[in-house]
Amino acid sequence: MPRTIVPFGPQHPVFPEPIQLKITYEDEKVVDVVPALGYGHRGIEKACELNDFQKNIYLCERICGICSSIHGIAYCEAVERLWPLEIPQRAKYLRTIFSEMSRVHSHLLWLGLFADAFGFESLFMQFWRIRERVLDMIEMTAGHRVTQSVSVIGGVRRDISAEQKSRMLDTFKTVKAETERLTSVLRKDYTVKARTVGVGVITTEQAVLFGCVGPVLRGSGVAEDARMQDIMAYKDLEFEPIVEQDGDSWARCLVRFRECLQAIDLIVKALNKLPEGELAVKFKGNPPAGEVSFRHEQPRGEMFYYVKGNGTKNLDRVRVRTPTYSNIPSLLLMLPGSSLPDVPIIVHTIDPCISCTER
Amino acid sequence: MLDNMKEIDKSDLVSEVKKYAEKKARFVVAVCNDLLDRFEITYFFNDTPGMNMSTLRTTIGKEEVLPSITGVYLTALLNENEIKELFGVKINDIAIDFGGHMLLAGDSPTLPMLKASPETAMKGSE
Repeated sequence: MPRTIVPFGPQHPVFPEPIQLKITYEDEKVVDVVPALGYGHRGIEKACELNDFQKNIYLCERICGICSSIHGIAYCEAVERLWPLEIPQRAKYLRTIFSEMSRVHSHLLWLGLFADAFGFESLFMQFWRIRERVLDMIEMTAGHRVTQSVSVIGGVRRDISAEQKSRMLDTFKTVKAETERLTSVLRKDYTVKARTVGVGVITTEQAVLFGCVGPVLRGSGVAEDARMQDIMAYKDLEFEPIVEQDGDSWARCLVRFRECLQAIDLIVKALNKLPEGELAVKFKGNPPAGEVSFRHEQPRGEMFYYVKGNGTKNLDRVRVRTPTYSNIPSLLLMLPGSSLPDVPIIVHTIDPCISCTER
Repeated sequence: MLDNMKEIDKSDLVSEVKKYAEKKARFVVAVCNDLLDRFEITYFFNDTPGMNMSTLRTTIGKEEVLPSITGVYLTALLNENEIKELFGVKINDIAIDFGGHMLLAGDSPTLPMLKASPETAMKGSE
């Protein structure tokens, strides 16, 4: 059987950002895949070495549009560990709330795009309609819908007032009810199952060996989530990771759907337990010499920050490893053996974010 | 301040990494630091199950060749290509070698992450 190499991307309806997969087909079956990056590298890590450590927050928040607040929080958490600085309890809760709001809107965005990828336009519109309410809450509290700057070294710079809290509790109650209503569509619709069950399977052992993270890892039965660490307020909120066992596209979809509902519960719980107190702790001088790593859970999976201080206002090194960076190699395993129309679905289930990956 | 760090010689790198694979540890990332006269490469692993991290660190001269760990953890391929392209670390036998053209465009600065790169020198003179 002759083989054909088809360039999938860099411009493709399933990719909101540019990446290319050089896919080798035999008839309609995928036999080989080679990823090609390099369309969005911005040199952010180098820029972080040249900037003041406090200005780096804004740079890190621009690594990704969807998880901007989480990037800022993770960078601050890493730098704070160089002293180390203990941030106020209220700031920990607020960082948790902003992180979980990012997760809800990111998962709703993904669920919509996923429905769109297999032609379910009305489901796509329903998920995005609900997402608008979440973006309204983000705009109300963080001041922006997309690039949100909420974190500073030592705490946060955006508070949630009593009035905002009450509005958020009402809104997230509605968001949860409306999202749950779509459960039956997702779970019962023939098309959704037909396009996802048994498609792009990755076993537990493969997921670990391929370094997968986030819903890809948890969809293969591995209970690992950076929020299991004692970070921010997750321990107080009794966080437990959501896991599915089948390792296919459907399992990854279910993990995201369930995490979306769980994130809403975490927001409500955190709002109800939000302690009074300062927003940030004061600090003096530059981060001391030393090196630390910090992991936080983005909607797409575990994110890793490494920072090395040298006692000056410039850091020696900032390394950011985003979830898609870890999940791209798993496509080399998921795609071979699948058929041509399944490729966009499988690629979509890793929720690729290329601006994150290339930094 | 890194958790469970073990310093090793580059000749032991692949065999040490294999021990992590046998323990079913998850490869997290490799971080390269330019120490001006040598490179320091730190490999982070997650001790699955759980969220504990272990690190392996090796230091090599700038002209030395580092063995690839993609034979053990294929997922390290993006990481190793990046270190090769941005720092100029010589790495042998990467499973998919992009030949120094994974991230940078044709007219990008070469080896931009080196400490002695033009950008750094400019900043120092300001």
